[in-house]
Amino acid sequence: MKTPSAYSTTGKIGKSVLFLLPMLLITFVFITGGQPDFSGTGQVIGFIITYVFFNYLFFRMLYTGKTDRYRAAGFIVLALFFAFVFIVNLVRARGNMSFSDENILACEIPFCHIVITMIIIPAALTQTIIFPGSILEGFAAISLMIVIWLGISLALGRGFCSWGCFYGGWDDGTSRILKKPVIRKFNPVFRWAAFAVLILVALWAALTLTPQYCNWLCPFKTVTEFEKVTSVETLLKTIVFVSLFAALVIILPLLTKKRIQCATFCPMGALCSLTNKINVFDVKIDKEKCNSCLKCVTICPTLSLNKEEVARGKPSMTCCKCGKCIDSCSRQAIHYHLKGTPSDKKLTTARMLFLYPAFTLLVIFTGGTMQYGITLLIRLFTTGSLF
Amino acid sequence: MKTIRNIIIYTWAVLCMILIPVTFVRSTGFSEMLARLPFMKINPRHSGGEIGRVYEHNNLKITVNKPVFDALIGESRKGFVQVRFSPADSLPPFISDTIDFDNNGTPDLALAIDTKTGQSSLQPIDKNVLDLNISSKVKKDWVVRVNLLNPGRK
Repeated sequence: MKTPSAYSTTGKIGKSVLFLLPMLLITFVFITGGQPDFSGTGQVIGFIITYVFFNYLFFRMLYTGKTDRYRAAGFIVLALFFAFVFIVNLVRARGNMSFSDENILACEIPFCHIVITMIIIPAALTQTIIFPGSILEGFAAISLMIVIWLGISLALGRGFCSWGCFYGGWDDGTSRILKKPVIRKFNPVFRWAAFAVLILVALWAALTLTPQYCNWLCPFKTVTEFEKVTSVETLLKTIVFVSLFAALVIILPLLTKKRIQCATFCPMGALCSLTNKINVFDVKIDKEKCNSCLKCVTICPTLSLNKEEVARGKPSMTCCKCGKCIDSCSRQAIHYHLKGTPSDKKLTTARMLFLYPAFTLLVIFTGGTMQYGITLLIRLFTTGSLF
Repeated sequence: MKTIRNIIIYTWAVLCMILIPVTFVRSTGFSEMLARLPFMKINPRHSGGEIGRVYEHNNLKITVNKPVFDALIGESRKGFVQVRFSPADSLPPFISDTIDFDNNGTPDLALAIDTKTGQSSLQPIDKNVLDLNISSKVKKDWVVRVNLLNPGRK
């Protein structure tokens, strides 16, 4: 027998369309950046594809009551288009993907959110930011990225890792390629490794006044920018970046069907788990409905559930609110929830209150990038050049 | 009491819906406010440090920064000094100069830079001068960082 849906929009076209209406406006505003540019065919096609894609995803979330599979589609697209557009822009500006001493001396290295984990202690003790970037000017300025991270942390907590991070889509994507995991057992205790990485890189950066995770450990240097290979040291760094990307973002997620990089190695994820405490949204397991089948434990991509946590009725602090466990539960015992409210009431309201800001974040990060990326691809196919 | 708590929680959740778009729409204003905070300045290890003195020599403006020995607490045993050569229009093919970074009237190091190939050499004069850290063209200028021992921490 099919279990009735927990959400009032599921299977109802009228109600789903009604809830989609605000998103039609939000997506229009944020994909176009409030200033629609329909000057060329490429821009128009890019806009139409992006606009239809996101509103289709949101409609399907409402109509089917499923969250993760549609979120993941947008999230993976974000990672791919971000890397593509970022690399194209780098090649256009610098001629290649690498940065040199000149860029470091000129303090023009783009700041990414992961660096925040390393600047906190030095900012407190030395009253300075230990990064060769720009405080206010240029692309990905330090103050801009901190403001964005603070806003997202307040609104969504660690939801950032599944709805806004432009790296997370890589291992989210590779973890979905195989139907069944090759490595079936992956001990959830490894989720605490990310906290060890956080402590290590925060202290290492503080002691050397240099963001060492960026210098030595970041796997995503492989798909963004890295130091120009001019010495044995920079060659070694490049080998480390590529090896970590291959292991943590491609091979292990593929074999385990888990987001290994996000769950075990990302210091930002660990920091977001801590700042998540001030956030209002969480995921709750209804102990009365749950039959302890533990499918959610098996399926959780960030190792945020074990037997004890299921019995307790909520996942660990590392939960990224991706919605995969919610979608997988045949008894609909798991749902989005507002902390401090009764857990078995107003399920549609709690879900909608979470989905609107979370999906808006996904659209903000992906919309413009995807539209521009499509425009670039059209240019490539029609003229044979990206520039 | 429960009703009041629920009202607060739901209001907070509704505010989160507004917070995400507002964060991005007003990001420029917020980041300007954040940039005014006292800790929002680049550490001298990355910026090159404060300007010590500026003088002109051989049609080049030479900016010698104060030596950087910043550490998390106190000063480090090793640091560097940054020197910038700024030409009026374009860089000469060869730069050769002595630098007095501690401003005591005697040169502390001599630099020779081939700006075409980037080949740079350092001649330490002061005993605290170690080796060349970075020598690179930066836009129109040429910037050199020379590693130093901290005379105050031996």
